Amino acid sequence: MADLLKPLHDLFFWVSEMENSIALRESQFTWPLFEVVHVVFMCLFAGLIVMMDLRLLGIGNMQTPFTQLQKRLFPWQMIGMTGAAITGLVLVFGDPMRFYGNIFFWMKMLMMVIAAVNAMAFHYITYFSVDSWDNARVPPFGAKLAGALGVALWGFVIIAGRLIPYNWFQN
Amino acid sequence: MLEPYFQWMNDLAVSKAIGESIWIYPLVQAIHLLFLALFAGSLLIVDLRLMGWGMREQPVAKVARDAWPWMIVGFVGLVVTGIPQLMQNAMREYFSEFFWIKMYVLPIALIYTLTVRRMVAMADESRVAPAMSKLTGFASILLWIGGVAVPSRLIGLFT
Repeated sequence: MADLLKPLHDLFFWVSEMENSIALRESQFTWPLFEVVHVVFMCLFAGLIVMMDLRLLGIGNMQTPFTQLQKRLFPWQMIGMTGAAITGLVLVFGDPMRFYGNIFFWMKMLMMVIAAVNAMAFHYITYFSVDSWDNARVPPFGAKLAGALGVALWGFVIIAGRLIPYNWFQN
Repeated sequence: MLEPYFQWMNDLAVSKAIGESIWIYPLVQAIHLLFLALFAGSLLIVDLRLMGWGMREQPVAKVARDAWPWMIVGFVGLVVTGIPQLMQNAMREYFSEFFWIKMYVLPIALIYTLTVRRMVAMADESRVAPAMSKLTGFASILLWIGGVAVPSRLIGLFT
């Protein structure tokens, strides 16, 4: 395992020695600025993802057909995701070794990958039949499942992200 | 003026217990963020629509009525998870400018949401000037995100 992780460790370590990386983690205002903007983009992204998932679960925004909600919220979700991703990358760039040895950081990354798979699976399987349930009062099982998994997975992403500063399992 | 009350809160056995547990405070912070996402979503879905973006095919009133219960759930969740954080850090909060910015803007945002924003969102759209709608949505985002959420994050970063 240690051998497998060595290239990753070396990459993170190499970045941590870069001048800009050092400057960022030692900055008084730039680092906090990126943390704040990261949370603002999280509000946009996770907020509108939750709105979509509640619709999939059949418990929120039920007066709007799903396709309409999806089409109109998608660009905003993408803005939120892009902003959160960029600010997140900058934060990792600024203190790579802190994240490298952090279980919550890697849990967050893993959950994001699974959340992306969930979104793709929904898009290519359940969304295929959307015409038959676009206005249905009770969405089909597949839609509910995608919504529930979406809330749970993105919820875990947020929780794990917030717990990064508390690295209880560091050795 | 309020210092004795904050000191009292700070010294409560409950506050101390929260501070001594290694996981209660972090977990409360994390759940606070979950409710923030819910609250922000139900806020933005309406504000974006007011600004003429987002779900344009739907009347604002429909979007707002659907979002309302979730906004309440989000807000209640934020308050319930916010209070223990305040108790555990009462004196730090008392001396934090960002905490007081949040506490001053919060009631303004609340009153604004329950009066102006609600009236504009629920009104017959043909009788509301587009500029008025846009301004209402923009002011709402400015108050909640700029005036409440951002200072909240800054409390912990600058103490």
